[in-house]
Amino acid sequence: MTVFEFFLVLTLFMMILAILLSFVRLVLAPTIWDRLLMINLISIKVVMFVVVYAIYTDSILILDIAISYGIIGFLTITLLSKYIMTGGREK
Amino acid sequence: MIYVSIVLLVIAWIFILFGMAAVFRVKNLYTRILSAATIDTVGSLILLFALLIASFLARGEQGFNIRYDYIIRFVLLIGLLMLTNPISAHVNIRSAYLTGVEVKVLEHESDKDEAKEKEGELYG
Repeated sequence: MTVFEFFLVLTLFMMILAILLSFVRLVLAPTIWDRLLMINLISIKVVMFVVVYAIYTDSILILDIAISYGIIGFLTITLLSKYIMTGGREK
Repeated sequence: MIYVSIVLLVIAWIFILFGMAAVFRVKNLYTRILSAATIDTVGSLILLFALLIASFLARGEQGFNIRYDYIIRFVLLIGLLMLTNPISAHVNIRSAYLTGVEVKVLEHESDKDEAKEKEGELYG
């Protein structure tokens, strides 16, 4: 294990810690927009986790999964916030 | 040259730590969303740049070979995150504002009276 791989493993553990902390905040959030923000942050951190794992195992196919997960996270935020903004009614 | 990407990784950790601290410490809703989203965007971009540098510097054992398949996907991912993260923060704040969460005026201890006068001008 080289020095760079050691730092990659440390980054993986740090991403797991950040995801757990934001999940705690997602459960205990005061308003619903905090929950939307936490979904946004969790999706960014999962993308970063997958990218670091792809570099660590030196495989390209996992990077494609990271790109598609980023698109899915963006769609989740926009559609859910529009649903909350209109209050469930169609406008 | 691999130490450049290690330093960038450490800077990205610091940004992510400040983002998580901002989520738990800041009290106003709009400030919370703004600070957390922007700090996290910058952290993710710095981490992706660090891995982009590492992906074509670290593996060149038999000469300096650039791997274009990694670089194409990293540039796509950086462009995607740079476009969509501020848009999603903006959409989140817009939904909170249009639903009716009120915007508070910033107050200091020294100029509370001025802030009250200004509040009357702004929202009266």
